Amino acid sequence: MAEVLLEVRGLTAGYGAGPVLHGVDLDFQAGELLALIGANGAGKSTLLGVLSGLVPPTSGSILFAGRNLTGARPERVVRAGIAHVPQGRRLFATMTVRQNLVLGAYLRRDREVQSDIDRVVGYFPALGDKLQRVAGTLSGGEQQMVAIGRGLMGRPRLLMIDEPSLGLAPKVVETVIEVCQSINRDGVSVLLVEQDVVVALEAADRGYVLENGRIALSGSARELQDDPAVRKAYLGV
Amino acid sequence: MSLFVQQVILGLMLGGVYVAVAIGFSLVWGVLNIVNLAHGALVVVGMYATWFLFTHAGIDPFLTLPLDAVVLFAIGYLVQRGLINRVIRAPLFFTLLLTFGINLVLINLFLLWFKADFRSVTTSYSGAGLNVGAVTIPYIRLAALVIAMLLAGAVGFFMNRTRTGFAIQAVGADKDAAQLVGIDLRHVYALTFAVGAACAGVAGGLLSTVQAISPTAGEPYTLQAFVVVILGGLGRVSATVVGGLLFGLIEVLAQSQVPGLGAGWSNAIAFAVLVLVLVLRPQGLLGRLA
Ligand SMILES: Nc1ncnc2c1ncn2[C@@H]1O[C@H](COP(=O)(O)OP(=O)(O)OP(=O)(O)O)[C@@H](O)[C@H]1O
Ligand SMILES: [Mg+2]
Repeated sequence: MAEVLLEVRGLTAGYGAGPVLHGVDLDFQAGELLALIGANGAGKSTLLGVLSGLVPPTSGSILFAGRNLTGARPERVVRAGIAHVPQGRRLFATMTVRQNLVLGAYLRRDREVQSDIDRVVGYFPALGDKLQRVAGTLSGGEQQMVAIGRGLMGRPRLLMIDEPSLGLAPKVVETVIEVCQSINRDGVSVLLVEQDVVVALEAADRGYVLENGRIALSGSARELQDDPAVRKAYLGV
Repeated sequence: MSLFVQQVILGLMLGGVYVAVAIGFSLVWGVLNIVNLAHGALVVVGMYATWFLFTHAGIDPFLTLPLDAVVLFAIGYLVQRGLINRVIRAPLFFTLLLTFGINLVLINLFLLWFKADFRSVTTSYSGAGLNVGAVTIPYIRLAALVIAMLLAGAVGFFMNRTRTGFAIQAVGADKDAAQLVGIDLRHVYALTFAVGAACAGVAGGLLSTVQAISPTAGEPYTLQAFVVVILGGLGRVSATVVGGLLFGLIEVLAQSQVPGLGAGWSNAIAFAVLVLVLVLRPQGLLGRLA
């Protein structure tokens, strides 16, 4: 039995005008690549926001590596080993790529930041000659790479990536997803949020389907790919 | 000709004061999105601090500047952490209202402690100046200009070369993204406001050597800082330096070269500059378009 990394129970949250999440349960084994799929407005980003401390939960609990992170502030969550790569990249647009990456290591006091930048470039060779470029001037795909790289710079145990494929050409999506898989093979657990269900289930070990703030289905990626409801709603077959 | 040169020099020196006053105001506005109506009152805290140390401890006013900075840093941190952080996510109007209130409270405290009397800091070198041909450069104003430039350099270094400076920039650029790399928003907000207040304190210390000190002496400086930021543009120290020096020049030259515009017209000139910039170049001379 693998170690339980993340255990979410009965999570409810919203933005004031009624709840968006209605009692979400989620179990995450260390080392997994998990896909979280769901339609527009289902609450996927909200769930990540609650996990990373940006959105306060109204009830429920979050246990990460044995630690209670329910309602913890974002800096505590980062310190505990969770990185959240937000939807829409959200880079520091007027700073250079290098500065973005260095800020990703903000809480670390060691001297290995440079070697971790090298590691990010190892995953994304396209960034190699762009470290001094202003982040806002990069292409969408490159910005997504920087966003993931910035998340990696905190040396997380769990990397949560929100819709990396958004607005990218299929070729670039493929690259980004492949890197997510190799990051996962290198020992980082990955929670991949995607609207592109084909891509997500192709890459993942297991998946959760979020519908209107509730987990409607969960199972191995293969099971979900074959599930008639999933096929009808998300794969269009 | 030498009169014109004299005016240009005086304008730059006045501009130096404006730079000092506006740096902290610009930082707080750019990062926290707060137009701090209490900025002028913080400048006055610096004036009284220098006056107090000079009068009661005999410390040279220029040597009191680091102390002013430390005192105002502490006050700024506490005010932001204890008060403004509570409404920071509210619309701009609420923070305006709150800083307006803080301004009133400070002015009333000054009245309570120092009465409405005018006070001044007069040193042995107060009237002295450097004579170059027909042009006179007052020592105190020259020192104020130099110190203002050093202050600008120090803030620029802090913002662009240090870990904390980058954290402040990150918060100014994207609060959520900043939190996601582990930056403690409440602390960085308070630090930013504290640095802004410390700059106001230094500006106040400088100003105490060239003007009378009274509870409301800071009022014009809030407006002038506002104009400097609009003129230079928001978001970088160099923009404030350019805006401040230029505004000082405009004010002195307009008053001396345009017939009919005397010393009483300073607010009208500030307002004219404000309107012109907003119409012709709303992002300011060096500002980034939001
Ligand atoms: N900051 C916010 N303030 C208020 N309501 C919000 C906010 N963010 C999201 N919502 C609302 O919460 C609901 C869930 O949104 P969320 O962004 O979590 O969905 P999502 O599954 O990530 O959708 P998408 O695939 O479009 O990103 C939506 O109805 C949305 O309008
Ligand atoms: Mg989303």
